[in-house]
Amino acid sequence: MSLLTVTGLTKSYAGVQAVRDLSYDVPAGSISGLIGPNGSGKSTSIDCISGFLRPDEGRWSLAGLDLTGMSAHAMALAGLTRTFQTVRAYGELSLMENLCVAAQEHDGIGWWQSLRRNAMCRAADAAARTRAEELLGQINLAAYRDAPAQVLSYGQSKLLAIAAAMMARPHLVILDEPVAGVNPTMIRQIEAIIRALNRQGVSFLIVEHNMDFIMSLCGQVIVLDAGQKIADGPAAEIRRDPRVIEAYLGVAEA
Amino acid sequence: MVWLVLLCVPWLTSNEYWLDTGIAIATFAVLSTGLNLIYGYGGLLSFAQVAFFGLGGYGAALLVTRLGCSFWLALPAAAVIATLAGLLIGYSSLRLSRHAFAIVSLSFALLCGIVARDWVSLTRGSMGIPGLSLPGFDAPAQMYRLTVTAALILLAGFHVLLSSRLGRALQAIKLNEPLAQSQGIDPLRYKLLAIGASAAASGVMGALFVFHLSIVDPSVFDFYYTETMLIMVILGGAGSFWGVIGASVVFSIVPDLLRFSPDLRLMLYGLVLVAAMMLFPGGFAGLLRQRSLVRWRTRR
Repeated sequence: MSLLTVTGLTKSYAGVQAVRDLSYDVPAGSISGLIGPNGSGKSTSIDCISGFLRPDEGRWSLAGLDLTGMSAHAMALAGLTRTFQTVRAYGELSLMENLCVAAQEHDGIGWWQSLRRNAMCRAADAAARTRAEELLGQINLAAYRDAPAQVLSYGQSKLLAIAAAMMARPHLVILDEPVAGVNPTMIRQIEAIIRALNRQGVSFLIVEHNMDFIMSLCGQVIVLDAGQKIADGPAAEIRRDPRVIEAYLGVAEA
Repeated sequence: MVWLVLLCVPWLTSNEYWLDTGIAIATFAVLSTGLNLIYGYGGLLSFAQVAFFGLGGYGAALLVTRLGCSFWLALPAAAVIATLAGLLIGYSSLRLSRHAFAIVSLSFALLCGIVARDWVSLTRGSMGIPGLSLPGFDAPAQMYRLTVTAALILLAGFHVLLSSRLGRALQAIKLNEPLAQSQGIDPLRYKLLAIGASAAASGVMGALFVFHLSIVDPSVFDFYYTETMLIMVILGGAGSFWGVIGASVVFSIVPDLLRFSPDLRLMLYGLVLVAAMMLFPGGFAGLLRQRSLVRWRTRR
């Protein structure tokens, strides 16, 4: 069954079509990859889908719920969260606060309840802290629980971003280049964490240039080139697809 | 506790000078904490705080003198007027950008001053509206107690707001707005909440302040107030509740202490500011934060 369905997505910047009539599905429970050369429209397409860019055309829905035209925060509330290519964290807040703030809009506690800090609000806060402890354990950062996020290394910050995206208990998480610039040991760690979270029922759409990472992790891979989809299928097939090889490696001169 | 101690001050000194200073501290503590809420926590530079303050003052004065309202009705009305003004400028500019908000808030503050000066039929222009009195609170000590009580209630309200999830969401928006959005936080709602709460409190203090002075004139919109609030927030440490309160106390007193030398007063004041900016660019609270960061970094 398809979780995210994108149809006819088109986005132009001053005459350049960054994404052209793009359609694809992300199956429920899957780890899917979105790959393509630089400038092929990967980032534009996920920025549109996550509400940070307004596409010219196209519709998309999450588990049957039409998300077209929603703002980014409304998408997050609907169950679609994302991480960013550049590392983003609240540098001055502790790791614990970084995670708890990511959960607070999702537990149905209103402003008045937050101000009064009533029993429901306290219970929700406690639940968020428990979940945060669990995730900090999973990403091996439990020792830095109370440290401000700005002391983390680059790779650790990427882990924190993935953990924060999980706090909302999303259906689908879009990871934008989760391992770019991360050392090999940390890459294996990130891979293991994504698999573990996937087993808990979260689907992933991963944008990445690291082919080994994508091929070992993703069941299905979507390939973009010049704003269009050129291939879509199981990882093993995609690796052999002549159009994909052409897009990445170029054609031999005749 | 603090409240009881502060209320006893009038028995210790009948010196009106100290009571006036106490009222100034209470007023500036609320005003600068209001700015701290918007700027220090929410990341929005607002020049309109003085407008909320003055609108509260003029609103209450006009309601009492023109419509014969009771002051106790005019006080909440002042809060409502200031809040509506805040939401209006916030809603109209925040959909564009933070910078748009800064500019619109500055224009709005200037506009309020001009209207107060030039709409003579309503505000009596630069002559102001004199003779404001509050029956039962005519004595300086009573006005002092009323202002201090109101200020402490408002500051307690700010503290509850800022230490709740709402304060945390505001901080998140300031630190990284796209990240906050990706987590389901609606920046516009929270920014409007901050502006509304801050405007309401400033409006209340404005109403109390003009009844303390017993006159309201266009100088209530003076840029001097904006400047003072900014100094208190920046030197106290934007985003630090107690830092800004501390700076409000210090910088309500310092200008007066420098009075021993009227010629050098402004120069000395300037020197104090420059020295503070050079020694603690993040404010006093920023200095403490830096230390905690160093501790975590060296622990690794």
